[in-house]
Amino acid sequence: MLARAHTFTIEGLQTRHVTVEVDVRSGLPAFTIVGLADAAIREARERVRTAILNSGFEFPGRRITANLAPGDVPKAGPGLDLALGCAVLAASGQLPGERLDTHALFGELALSGELRACDGTLAVALAARERGLKTVVVAPACAAEARLVEGLDVAVAERLSSAVRVLRGGSPDPPGLSPSRPPHAIRRESRQPDLAEVRGQHHAVRALVIAAAGGHHCLLSGPPGTGKTMLAQRLPSILPLLSSQEAIEVTRVRSILGSAPRGLARRRPFRAPHHSITTAGLVGGGQRGWVGEAVLAHNGVLFLDELSEFARSTLDALRQPLEEGRIAIVRARHAAVYPARFMLVAATNPCPCGHAGAGDRCGCTETELARHRRRLSGPLIDRIDLLLALERQAPRTLGERPLTSSKSARERVVEARERQATRLAADGITMNAHMDAALLARHARLDATGEAMLQRAGERGLLSARGQHRLLRVARTIADLNASGRVRPRDLGAALALRPEATLGGSRAA
Amino acid sequence: MTKLSADPAPACGDCLRRSWLLARLSAGLDYRWADVSRLTELLALDDERLLRAQAGSRRARLQSDYLRFDSAGLSPRPGVGTVCRHDPGYPAALRGRGAPPMLYVLGGPDRLRDLTQRPVVAVVGTVRASDYGVEIARSLGRGLAASGVTVLSGASDGIAAAAHSGVVEAGAAGVAVVGGGLDVAWPARRRSLLERLRTHGCVVSELPCGTDGRRWGPAAAERVVARLSEVTVVVEAGETARELASAGIARSLGRMVAAVPGRVTSRSSRGTNALLIDGARLVRGAQDVLELLHAGSAARPVADGTACVELEPRLAEVLEQVGEGRDSPDRLTDPAADADEVLLALSELELIGLLTRGEGGRYVRCV
Repeated sequence: MLARAHTFTIEGLQTRHVTVEVDVRSGLPAFTIVGLADAAIREARERVRTAILNSGFEFPGRRITANLAPGDVPKAGPGLDLALGCAVLAASGQLPGERLDTHALFGELALSGELRACDGTLAVALAARERGLKTVVVAPACAAEARLVEGLDVAVAERLSSAVRVLRGGSPDPPGLSPSRPPHAIRRESRQPDLAEVRGQHHAVRALVIAAAGGHHCLLSGPPGTGKTMLAQRLPSILPLLSSQEAIEVTRVRSILGSAPRGLARRRPFRAPHHSITTAGLVGGGQRGWVGEAVLAHNGVLFLDELSEFARSTLDALRQPLEEGRIAIVRARHAAVYPARFMLVAATNPCPCGHAGAGDRCGCTETELARHRRRLSGPLIDRIDLLLALERQAPRTLGERPLTSSKSARERVVEARERQATRLAADGITMNAHMDAALLARHARLDATGEAMLQRAGERGLLSARGQHRLLRVARTIADLNASGRVRPRDLGAALALRPEATLGGSRAA
Repeated sequence: MTKLSADPAPACGDCLRRSWLLARLSAGLDYRWADVSRLTELLALDDERLLRAQAGSRRARLQSDYLRFDSAGLSPRPGVGTVCRHDPGYPAALRGRGAPPMLYVLGGPDRLRDLTQRPVVAVVGTVRASDYGVEIARSLGRGLAASGVTVLSGASDGIAAAAHSGVVEAGAAGVAVVGGGLDVAWPARRRSLLERLRTHGCVVSELPCGTDGRRWGPAAAERVVARLSEVTVVVEAGETARELASAGIARSLGRMVAAVPGRVTSRSSRGTNALLIDGARLVRGAQDVLELLHAGSAARPVADGTACVELEPRLAEVLEQVGEGRDSPDRLTDPAADADEVLLALSELELIGLLTRGEGGRYVRCV
């Protein structure tokens, strides 16, 4: 007899629908699984067999063949256990098969017959709704995550027997109160860094607000200990809250990686990989489509501390996501496109020792400085719009009042973003940072004074053509923050002072 | 190497042999690179004594090579001319004890003669210059070159490189003295500068082509720089003997030494400030150097800083403050005040060319 059940497998960030077909025939007792299953699934045979027996059902002592279709998609993880178990029961006549067509089954079976939570429940629930399935059956610990998807029934099953009850038309279990996440994860969510904790650095804080308002990639430059990391960590707190669509996207990624918060993610992700990261670690890759930090930073912030220490090839791999907002990964056995639209925040010391410009403390030779500049310049800094120059603060500034709190800064950012969104509505983008040359010509028109300034900057070799576009984008954002419809000379002047090339020591580039 | 046509007026065999000897001794001389006075003394020795300064079996080998020296082994490279002290074209200012007997010249001995017949000013200083020093050196190079003065310097980092880039900005010709063979661009990042000087000015070395750059080279080059120039301007220098070497040489030759004052707390201005105490002439800019050159000759307009353009008061104020050391927006603005006006002023000043950006994006006042 043949039975079919629906479930999903996760490959990288993609969910693939899997039909579990089980056939039970007379023959020597055997349990074979075919269809590109990984080791965890091949081991499922033992789990499924024992769980069925321990749940008071009978395991058919005949020849059982399970096929995981489609046959060309590699399947991984223990989440297919439940579907496999239910299909075996249906194929052996212990369970009516009709509800299996409308239910998605996702979970790992314990030997006792208990259902265990699996990573990626939200992704599976989303895919189930897309597939047109009515209900998803999951473990109690995953229920909250699955409920985030609207238009899909979530049936909680504590055990295999409960799942069978649901499939027979019975009622599901109540959602348990099992602790789904370790408590430290919750604490981390609740305590958020705030811009009000930053003392001094007014100039950099203002620039950070500009970057947040326009979605500009930025470069933090300053001696060690001046608060580059501190400032970068506070960027998510002034960015607009995630929209519901974005929140689902972020939660989905976290869910797949097993770090989903309780409920929907509200904060934007902040990823800060160490500079020893490999290219695959940053953008993804590997045999099964490993997801890189750039993808995890989607809709949030990617912070690269000590930019000059990253491998050149690794940074080059960021060019595609910076330009297109997505990463295409092509490996020998699979290809995938992941969303990766993030704000890049890079930080660097002004020189290898970090004390350049601070009087006599810098002990770097010209050779070291030249090498440092060479490592910084290049394709990546070409795509950075803003420079945030930090400097050592006098001790008295620690007692000063902060310039702004995250709350009021976020209000300004949201206002500016709304202005941009209205203006750019017809162009299919939402932020100034994504304007191309044609849009700049339309939306960032300058008056005669501004034109003259721009021309002069070009003549003096302060700006390349690409640099001019970046300058205009930033100037447009500053005008938006000032609620100005036009880009005035003062907006342009401020943008010019914040251009990132300035950190490369213009006076020395001989 | 293909044999090239001989130079029309080749240096004499003795002088060629001398430069060959120096190149052979290059590695040994490197032990003396930090001690400039010993190095200058060594370089002032005649061939025989230099040979005797060698020890062990090396001396015998060197001596036999020396005796069998054939100048054909040092055939000239394209574009490289030579001039030796027996040549009338040899710069008169260079003559004297301890002077290099011969020079290899990229750009031609004739051009070198032309350039050294004008007033020659050396702009020298530390390789680890501050933004201030770099800016001053550059403006000196630019201003002096524009006034028809030949600017002379080494090819090392810091002040020397900045002075040359100022000369290039003025579109004029300068002279660089390098410490290695002329075809060996050392350090490599100077390549583009040397390339420019080859077409417009001169690059000079006392070592034959193909000699690798070594640490003693720049130190030896400084003695040529000091000898060739009427005035040696030290822009920034620490208190080490190495950094003050060219001033010392110039002074011992009775040439005028001038220095640019700096902050008393700055390491890279200690040497120049000490020179000023010792009686060096104080120089604030190109104008002051011109006055030194033409002292008493003709009435010249009185130098007065940057007062050639009338600045708007708001710009003038910001410029003044940057000059006083408030060189970043954070230091210039009151936290409560609107920063955009100040940023606009800074940008305007940068566009006019009165400000430039230093390390870490700091503002540096141009002179």
